[in-house]
Amino acid sequence: MSTDEVVLRKGVYRDSVTLMRISKTLSDLDGVEVAVVAMATPLNLDLARDLGFELPAADPADLLVAVRGERAEAAHAELDALLSANAPLAAASDSEQPPLTTRSAARRTEAGVVLVSVPGEHAYAEAVDAVEAGLSVMVFSDGVPVEQEIALKDLAAEKGVLVMGPDCGTAVISGVGLGFANVLRPGPVGIVAASGTGAQQLSCLLDLAGVGVSHVLGVGGRDLSPEVGGRSANRAIAMLDEDPATELIVLVSKQPPVRPAVPAKRFVEASADLTATAEHVLKELGRPVPEWPAWPAWAGRTVTGALRGIYSGGTLCAEAGGVAGTGTFVDYGDDAYTRGRPHPMIDPTLRLEALAAVAEGDVVLMDVVLGHGADPDPAASYAHAIARCPATVVVALIGSAGDPQDLHRQAAAFREAGAAVFTSNAQAARHARSLL
Amino acid sequence: MTVSTHPRRARTHVTGAASAAVRPVLESPRRRARVLAAFPTGIYLEVRTDLEPSVIAIITGEATRLPNSVLLAADLPHVTVGDDASVGEGTIELGRLSLRARRWWDPAPPLAPVDPVRLAVSLDPVRPAPGLAGHQAIELLAESCARGWLLGVVTAAEQLVGLGPGLTPSGDDVLAGLLVTLRHLGKSAGVERAVWLADWLAATVTYDARTRTTPISATLLHCAARGESCPEVTGVLRALTGRGALEPAVSRLCRLGHTSGADLAQGVGIGLATIRALAAAPVPPALAGAR
Amino acid sequence: MSLLSGPPRVITVGAELLGEALDAQAVPRTAVAWRPPLPGTAGALTRVLLDPRRAAANERAVRRLTAARPHLAGVRRAAEALDLPPRTFLHAGPPITWDRASGPMRGALIGATLLEGWAADEREANDLLADGRIALEPCHHHRAVGPMAGVVSPSMWMFEVRDEEHGGAAYCSLNEGLGKVLRYGAYGPEVLDRLRWMDAVLGPALAAALRVSGPIDLGALIAQALQMGDELHNRNRAATSLLLRELAPALVEAAPGTAAEVLRFAGGNDHFFLNAAMAAAKAGTDAARDIPGSSLVVAMARNGTDFGVQVSGLGSQWFTGPAGVPDGLYLGAYGPADANPDIGDSTITETAGLGGFAMAAAPAIVRFVGGEVGDAVAATRSMYEITLAEHPAYQIPGLGFRGTPVGIDVTLVARTGVLPVVNTGIAGRVAGTGQVGAGLVSPPAEAFTKALAALTKRAAIQ
Repeated sequence: MSTDEVVLRKGVYRDSVTLMRISKTLSDLDGVEVAVVAMATPLNLDLARDLGFELPAADPADLLVAVRGERAEAAHAELDALLSANAPLAAASDSEQPPLTTRSAARRTEAGVVLVSVPGEHAYAEAVDAVEAGLSVMVFSDGVPVEQEIALKDLAAEKGVLVMGPDCGTAVISGVGLGFANVLRPGPVGIVAASGTGAQQLSCLLDLAGVGVSHVLGVGGRDLSPEVGGRSANRAIAMLDEDPATELIVLVSKQPPVRPAVPAKRFVEASADLTATAEHVLKELGRPVPEWPAWPAWAGRTVTGALRGIYSGGTLCAEAGGVAGTGTFVDYGDDAYTRGRPHPMIDPTLRLEALAAVAEGDVVLMDVVLGHGADPDPAASYAHAIARCPATVVVALIGSAGDPQDLHRQAAAFREAGAAVFTSNAQAARHARSLL
Repeated sequence: MTVSTHPRRARTHVTGAASAAVRPVLESPRRRARVLAAFPTGIYLEVRTDLEPSVIAIITGEATRLPNSVLLAADLPHVTVGDDASVGEGTIELGRLSLRARRWWDPAPPLAPVDPVRLAVSLDPVRPAPGLAGHQAIELLAESCARGWLLGVVTAAEQLVGLGPGLTPSGDDVLAGLLVTLRHLGKSAGVERAVWLADWLAATVTYDARTRTTPISATLLHCAARGESCPEVTGVLRALTGRGALEPAVSRLCRLGHTSGADLAQGVGIGLATIRALAAAPVPPALAGAR
Repeated sequence: MSLLSGPPRVITVGAELLGEALDAQAVPRTAVAWRPPLPGTAGALTRVLLDPRRAAANERAVRRLTAARPHLAGVRRAAEALDLPPRTFLHAGPPITWDRASGPMRGALIGATLLEGWAADEREANDLLADGRIALEPCHHHRAVGPMAGVVSPSMWMFEVRDEEHGGAAYCSLNEGLGKVLRYGAYGPEVLDRLRWMDAVLGPALAAALRVSGPIDLGALIAQALQMGDELHNRNRAATSLLLRELAPALVEAAPGTAAEVLRFAGGNDHFFLNAAMAAAKAGTDAARDIPGSSLVVAMARNGTDFGVQVSGLGSQWFTGPAGVPDGLYLGAYGPADANPDIGDSTITETAGLGGFAMAAAPAIVRFVGGEVGDAVAATRSMYEITLAEHPAYQIPGLGFRGTPVGIDVTLVARTGVLPVVNTGIAGRVAGTGQVGAGLVSPPAEAFTKALAALTKRAAIQ
């Protein structure tokens, strides 16, 4: 018989992505129908109530564990093992004190950069610790108010460091991928990006053409707004101008209202078509433009309907919509969809639902972004849904040859499921348009 | 090797970071390799390939990031000298480990431009004393380089390859330091003849390095010939261009190995003196003659 | 090293997934064991952290705290040294009224009334105090501190400690010893007899000796005592010995007739130095007061009912919560039921980076406070997470001569949820009982969160 087990645990904290993974593992156990393991925030409590759980009064600092199933109790035992496996830092001895703040961590190690991904309302404290310690910082967190962003960036200017973000998804520093980033070869192109997925598309195309990247410096989607005034973009461009490894600088941004200072080095401003931008960069460097890898679909379905863009990257969504010039495009990475759940680059749920809802005869255009931090095997997540989908599916596969997911294996799996696969998002959009 | 009656256990997949110099070998068709040497912080694999580096170092975080190394994000496997391994198709298989790179670093990062008259005069102090301090071949090398006298440079280099004890003989380390300096600092200082000298010196030392010195040292000479080195050498060169303090960079370099760091520093010092001399004497007759 | 000069070492704070991606790239990283701040403080924290004055103000405040050079300059009567209004007693902790005062606080106030001769007996003293005919003010409002009940009456002798760096002065009463004593709320005949002897013999002798010896550098004594196993709150044995070594010749010279009994008294009380340490700590924390924008704690004190803190940027305002009952070892047949809630100004030692913050220096007393030497080391290490600095002079041999954690920052307490570790004696809850034990106590989090909320009101947002 199925029962509900609800427990609040005091004094246990794990980040939301870790808890989501734990919830999934528990839900997959035999005899468990559904498991919710989450911090007891009002939002998470609502989610659990929506699932029909009866909840006691809880404090946001409590860990909520709600399990339904015949073997709900067994799930609690399993949870202990999972929680201890995911303990933030198992101290090697009693006397070791893990750093509890960025300030403390910065005092004990000679770090070069801080990656902040705590919930947005807490991000300023960690980021300002970094800047005060004289460290550059990438703020992956979103939901940080603009006045906090400005205060951070002004302080950073004083300290001579760079603030990447807030809401900066992608950075690569001397090959080190921070957040959602790809495995790139070292090379002469420095990228300043207000758009993470835009930087990923551009850097992956360059890498496929055998041209490496010195650094990708994200600045956050709001940096080039009139309020923030390109504070970080200007600094990032100046840093790349000074960097001996960088020969050419590319600015990736969705039509910036604020134009940053032009560097002394060769400078390319990305256009709305990132593939065209990559080709422009290759020509500037005197390098040949290759055929961008693409894998046509094995067989076509009849197209009678409309074009539906089901995207995870905002810039990629806009680029595809612009290139296709028709169809309905939804960016599932938008704040409206990510509140209270992980980004669609990690969690396929929303886009799987969208795939199941398309009509026969439609053309689906979707992006799949590979690299660090992203879904470890997106083909496995989507192949079944694509194979069952009555529409024609075109996949823009954004990745480099070195990515952990293995670009070629992913392409083969998507193709096996019936999709046409392109490494250029613009080419994918043109292809999708041509099917209509 | 012990024979187990249990079914062969699955390989453990691990990841790490690698010098971009290793990428061509790593991405070639799979080739056999064997364990050449094993230390607590590094395992050297000799790969049956004509490519360089043909010796790949699998290292832990404590080891020097040699230009032929792959840095493991996990513990090193237990292996012994002579064990079989394989390298290629993006993977290194060693013991129970199957290793892939998740990050590439540049072993030959470019330097910022520098005016040769602003270069430091020397690297003093280089401590401990380099292994070949005062050796006649070193004197010949330094003097010939400064004069741009190619015959002298080549003669000295031929004497130095493989000279000295150990895994990386002192003579090789001096030549490696010199090669990297002439190539990078020469380019950054705009002293073309230093780069030209590096090309000749590179051809000389790589010609028969595999037969004249240890396999590990031969690979590192090949790397140095292409301007690839470890971050400690790069740090000194970078400091010479005005990015960072010189003295701490030199002492970090000198701490490597027994005298390896000091030998490399000696080579960098000879390179530095060469670039200053060649920059100061626009048309050295000896060089003009060699051309 | 600039950001772009090579593959960086990374500090990660937040989603483990992103940290694991760095591990897979063999990027050296330091993970912050982050957890959300104390409930309800997120908004206030950000507002306080946005105050553009904060970083510089805290740096200045903690520099003044650690730069203080406390010297024992003299021993003087409270009536002379402190600007005491008439018919006023000082007490430990934040302000309190008779009706809210705990047993030991009441006992000490009654004892002081009797000592001053303002009442003939206990009942009369009780009435005077209950009617408010004797005013009560915190020691902290008069540049003073007092251990446990901390009651100071006009005739009592006080250590006078001068800060030779910044020119301030701080005061603390003389220690009566252990057992039945006024500071634990005892006021029997033997208590009053001892106080009268201190009044007639101890105070004058010490005053005379200090005139001969000249000021004694307490900072140097504290630094040495830390290396001899004291933490200067629950263990003062080494410091007491060091002080007596300094004082003895001058005492013999200045007061030959009473030197022997004075030395016997002081030498028989391992806590004789505590009161000097408290005044020294107070001299440092007072130097750090009143710096606009600073979130540094300049006083933690308890009156047996409330635990209160004061913050540099918030003037003399107190922020309080209920005083907890210490957890520790009990004397004889006493147990937790006999314990009074936390009491005393001696938490000034923790405020200045001593006491619980220096537990790792005092392995001899770890059993008092919960067990193993490792616990003491862990306690000290955890305090680095909520403090702004490491003391330049006060060092802990067992931690490789690392400076003690000093300068509690209200924002760090709220962010980490780590509360200051306080070592303390435990008073009996019934007036007149005296000391019943010693142990550790945890301050109420709300004292710190209230201070944080007050800082937001004074934050100068650009």
